[in-house]
Amino acid sequence: MFLLLRKLNRLRRQADLERGPGGSLAVRHVDAGSCNGCESELNSVANTFYDLQRFGINIVASPRHADVLLITGPVTRRMREPLLRAYEAMPEPRLVAALGDCALGCNLLGLPSEHLDGVESVLHVDVRIEGCPPSPAAIASALEAALAAGLGR
Amino acid sequence: MRLESERVPPGRWRRTVVERQASGARFGSLHATAGEVRLLLVLPGGGCTLLITGGAEVESIVADVPAAGWAEREAHDLYGIEFLGHDPMRPLVLHSAEEWRVPVTGGGVHDVAVGPIHAGVIESGHFRFHAVGERILLLDLRLFYKHRGLEKAARGVALDQGIVYAQRACGTCAVANSVAYAQAAETVLGLQCGIATAHARTLLLEMERLYNHLGDLSAICAGIGFAAGGMALAALKERAQRLNQQLFGHRFLFDTVEVGGTSIEISSADARRAGAEVTAIVADAGIVWRELSFNGSVQDRLCGVGVLSHHQALRTGAVGPSARASGVDLDARSSAPDLLYPGFRSARLVDATGDVAARAEMRKIELEATGQLLDPLLQDGIRPERGRRQLEEQRMGFGRVESPRGETVCVVEGKSGGIERFHLRTASYANWPALIDVVPGNLLPEFPLINKSFELCYACVDR
Repeated sequence: MFLLLRKLNRLRRQADLERGPGGSLAVRHVDAGSCNGCESELNSVANTFYDLQRFGINIVASPRHADVLLITGPVTRRMREPLLRAYEAMPEPRLVAALGDCALGCNLLGLPSEHLDGVESVLHVDVRIEGCPPSPAAIASALEAALAAGLGR
Repeated sequence: MRLESERVPPGRWRRTVVERQASGARFGSLHATAGEVRLLLVLPGGGCTLLITGGAEVESIVADVPAAGWAEREAHDLYGIEFLGHDPMRPLVLHSAEEWRVPVTGGGVHDVAVGPIHAGVIESGHFRFHAVGERILLLDLRLFYKHRGLEKAARGVALDQGIVYAQRACGTCAVANSVAYAQAAETVLGLQCGIATAHARTLLLEMERLYNHLGDLSAICAGIGFAAGGMALAALKERAQRLNQQLFGHRFLFDTVEVGGTSIEISSADARRAGAEVTAIVADAGIVWRELSFNGSVQDRLCGVGVLSHHQALRTGAVGPSARASGVDLDARSSAPDLLYPGFRSARLVDATGDVAARAEMRKIELEATGQLLDPLLQDGIRPERGRRQLEEQRMGFGRVESPRGETVCVVEGKSGGIERFHLRTASYANWPALIDVVPGNLLPEFPLINKSFELCYACVDR
């Protein structure tokens, strides 16, 4: 245990990560039909190489606690309703981020009757993060930029 | 790989399946087309046959082959096939109906509904528990929130282009799914690939297993709130994915597998450097594992939780590390003629207890085995290669690959160069019913841990 903690501490020092601008963002993620690639990368931004939490950006458990709704996937027919309910549960002001090419409506696969054409078919998108899937570095810098632009204040 | 098909009269369907099962064939997958049902049986040598029967009404085989339960429900929902004797026929894919729910009965039993949106960064799916206090009596799942209709959408697409439908079914099993598709499609097209393609695909499959197993072990640590172990393993997963990026240009190895050859080019020097990094990652994982093994509070949470018995694993048709942790000696790599697994022997536990601890240890052993498999594969570089049209074209073909989560099978039927029907049964699809079987009797707070020890995808089930 102590060995592990020491090792993690060293990793963190080696990475020599900078602190971000002030403020914070509470992010609620909703998977609206992704391939699991975006989820995997979103989990990776918490690892010691990126450590997104150092910017004050945290993934929170409920939309009621969230400033940002971070959506992956093209929005399948069956996830449309749960997605909108999560959005309605958020306090205002609230932001919508589309994570990955599917959420942005690019190169979609599947039956048109089973999914919409990305998040913009149902909600206004404030933050766009491109990639298939976007790398953890891209996710971190997009959210940090949103924070720096004052979207979190 | 070549797939022999056999038509069975509807009146003899169930009897034929029982006979084949008695002679050693194992359930692979079941899917429907408009008005027909197709059953893929895996033969003891690793080959497959496809049994086909016609008619909108077919005898159900669930009483003899419980593993076919989900597949029959899906065929009913998507193709309107009636399975006589499958009662109640609860919806699996269709969400409009309410009949999927099991009514809550008994005193003091309450219903706990979770999802489709979960508390963490997790895929969407709905779980419904019947519980007394914290003790779970029953778990029911309602997945397919992410259903994109990939199989139907692939219809008519050129066989060599259709691989994206298999790949994009799931990000973290992308290689396994694409290799299974490529093997099937190449058979239909009569293409034969050479040693470089086999080399590239085996390398890709094992690189996929490397980062997945590290991620799964990290998730198990996270499942018991052991952050130090979780973060250490997540850092190793990151290193493995960065290596993927360096060698193949993609962290999830997307677009690395193609039908009819390989475009991968790696120099010997790059390959050896990557080999050294793989060795270092596996060695570091060994250090973390040692820490976990000697940590009483970790071991205490893993042992005896979520036990999948040997019998349950066989009955539900479980595959992969989860089945092997219950003593089922089943690994598609043991018979993979199109890949480079010479003299492969599946990893075995001394004590296959089938609990979370066994599933974690299984992954650790397989991680080391993957390191050993990768070592010779990364001694030499790879040069691009194109397969040749040497064989006769076929109406159908199959692919069978061991993904990080277990055996994945793919059936492709083609007509004049296009996909007529494509079916992908991934390891996660096979293992969800095993998870449902395991959970009753455990406590609600243990569920996330049990779930993580199986680490099943939703995306490649929902497709």
